[in-house]
Amino acid sequence: MIPLRALVRKELASLFGSPLAYLTLTGVALVTALIFFDHLRVYNQILFLYSSTSLGGFDADAIPDFVNLRDQVFLPVMETLGLTLIGLVPLVTMRVFAEERARQTDELLQTTLLSPTEIVLGKFAATFVFVALLLLASFVYPAASILRAGLGLEHLAAVYLGLFVLGLALASIGLACSALTASQLVAAVSAYAVAFVFYDFSWATTFTGETLGPLLDALSLHPRFGRFSEGVVRVADLVYFAGYAVVAFAVARLSLEQARVR
Amino acid sequence: MMLGELALAGLVALAFGVGSYYATGAFGAFGVVNVASGGLALAAAAVLALRGWRGFGSPDARRVLTPPLLGLCAALAGSVALERIADARDWRFDLTFERRYELAPAMHELLTSRGGDVRATLFCEQGDPRCRSTRILLETLASASGGRLAWEREELADEPESADRFGITTSNTVVLERGERFAKVERPSEGSLYEAIQRLVAEPAGFLYVARGEGEGDLRRTDDVGYSGFAAALETEGYRLRDLVLAATDEIPADASALLLLAPERELRADAFAALRRWLDGGGRLVVCLDPGQRSGIEALLAEWGLDVPDRLVVDPASGPVAGDPTGVNPIVHQFADHPVARGLGETRMVFFRGARPVIPARKPQADDDLRAVAFSSRRAWLAASGAVADGARPPERPADAAEDYQPLAATGRYPRVGSEARIVAFGDCDFAANRNLRGLYNQDLALNAVHWATERTERITLRPKALPPHQFPLTPQETLRMLYGVGLLVPELLLVAGGLAWLRRRSG
Repeated sequence: MIPLRALVRKELASLFGSPLAYLTLTGVALVTALIFFDHLRVYNQILFLYSSTSLGGFDADAIPDFVNLRDQVFLPVMETLGLTLIGLVPLVTMRVFAEERARQTDELLQTTLLSPTEIVLGKFAATFVFVALLLLASFVYPAASILRAGLGLEHLAAVYLGLFVLGLALASIGLACSALTASQLVAAVSAYAVAFVFYDFSWATTFTGETLGPLLDALSLHPRFGRFSEGVVRVADLVYFAGYAVVAFAVARLSLEQARVR
Repeated sequence: MMLGELALAGLVALAFGVGSYYATGAFGAFGVVNVASGGLALAAAAVLALRGWRGFGSPDARRVLTPPLLGLCAALAGSVALERIADARDWRFDLTFERRYELAPAMHELLTSRGGDVRATLFCEQGDPRCRSTRILLETLASASGGRLAWEREELADEPESADRFGITTSNTVVLERGERFAKVERPSEGSLYEAIQRLVAEPAGFLYVARGEGEGDLRRTDDVGYSGFAAALETEGYRLRDLVLAATDEIPADASALLLLAPERELRADAFAALRRWLDGGGRLVVCLDPGQRSGIEALLAEWGLDVPDRLVVDPASGPVAGDPTGVNPIVHQFADHPVARGLGETRMVFFRGARPVIPARKPQADDDLRAVAFSSRRAWLAASGAVADGARPPERPADAAEDYQPLAATGRYPRVGSEARIVAFGDCDFAANRNLRGLYNQDLALNAVHWATERTERITLRPKALPPHQFPLTPQETLRMLYGVGLLVPELLLVAGGLAWLRRRSG
């Protein structure tokens, strides 16, 4: 357990040793602040318009049903942050295994007391902690606004849980890709490609027809992720995202063992 | 070409091909060529990789690689199996502010015991964000119904014939069908879907006669003071409404499940009273509401059945100002008796009246009769003269001799007789069921449940799902701006400073 903890610490230190980690944290927090503020401002303006007497005041029937916090703020913020994660997470994960392989320090790592499973576990854990920190940094401002407004935090927590599990899935994809190559560029590009392909399989129905639609829908990241923005947390969706981590873990472990055999 | 380059080129082509689809929503030549060439390049790279792979060449390699390979297979199979199990069980948590997807008991009861063979179709335009929440709501309903409600989604653009047939004019419309009947819901919420399903599955519940001709509340009137909403709600519950002009009739029709008397303004004819007495003696059912200041003679009839309705105004200082009226004259009621009419109502599910007179169960006409007050003001209430707020500006002042006490605002009476049982529900206010107030708090539930109790349809007594407020007003623009500067921009700024300092320190160290 102690060597594993040391590996996690080393991975985190390595992550925060580069300016990329801080830039990523800052970037996500800044993007969140700007888009959350912008959507909240527009939403407030729409409500002010509808609250004017000329439009009938706050009569429930006078306000269109799409004017609500969920559709006007949570949903677009979550969509934009999801795409931001797709753009940033592979940049963080690309070096985790590939760099070690390129520098051939992976062989050194294999001579330690750690088993291949523990090595993969340590690298996954450190990356997941970074994803959690990333979202924590971006959570502060929306949470403070929602609390200040006296609204419940639960819905926002569901939104961020969705972002967190999406981040874990993307990190898992990135780690698996990083484990399969010695090139950071190939790791990042392949992570982008896999993430793009899995994000929303609706593109595939162009080639497969509608019959496979429901199956492809069940495999896609986006519809699962979208449910969280509605404030609904389904255990099946959590298991689906956890499945990415488990499978990616198994792929990375297999790759490490294969390198050992070579 | 080397394996790595081939794979990289394939991945880039695939990413750009799929990316072009996400950007435009369709596959053009660029997307198709990229996806096809990317797929081919990846397939070729995979073949090359397999041909060159000697991972399992030796027994040692097989020994080392077999467990992780089996682990990968187990991870895939286990993940799929667990996801399928969780999906079938449909465990979910509703974290929305208004608990939007937690169904009301009435909806559960409707779906599981009465709502069989209902088919819901959600008509949407592509990209309509409202459809996502409607989809989750329909999923929730289908799951709760145990297979008695099925649903599907259709693209509005693909179904012009259905749009014509059902008269669909807007995206996010749900059409509910049962047999040959259908109902259209344009602003789907649990409440609106409940009412639509209720209309489809409701069994005829007999005739409700509504007295007319003496200035009673008008069930056809659709403005604020009309009762068209109450009429629609009664029809949704399965009742068929018929007018009864008391001035022109000597008998209450024998097929009447109940008679509604909504605040008659003028004195009823003696013949009408005689007909009412005969009818109640024979086991008639009467639902009556009387506003303060009205004298129609019904008060005397109610007194014969043990219910006193003095012409006074209940002033309840515990109730704040409602709709611009002075404090206390519109009692907000949260004290209810344990009675079917008030089932489920209480401190968190209140009703409000718009100027009410007391309804006091004073005496039993016969020993077996059961008279009960069902809704009360707070204990700080007192009785003023019925015209005490005629000027409408200031709350009435309590005279020193006016006693404070719980004031009953609605009461019921059961009168078992040989071979029959008469029932009366009396309210000290009628405006609570008028259009402008009916959907407020739980007024509609109290009104409908009173009719159900009077007609002995107690199994229909329930609290119905509420229409959700479509807006939440979080912060003023100034506060929003303050939060952006105080937190939103401060956090990334601090992170950047901390990161810069740490990095500089590492470089110099």
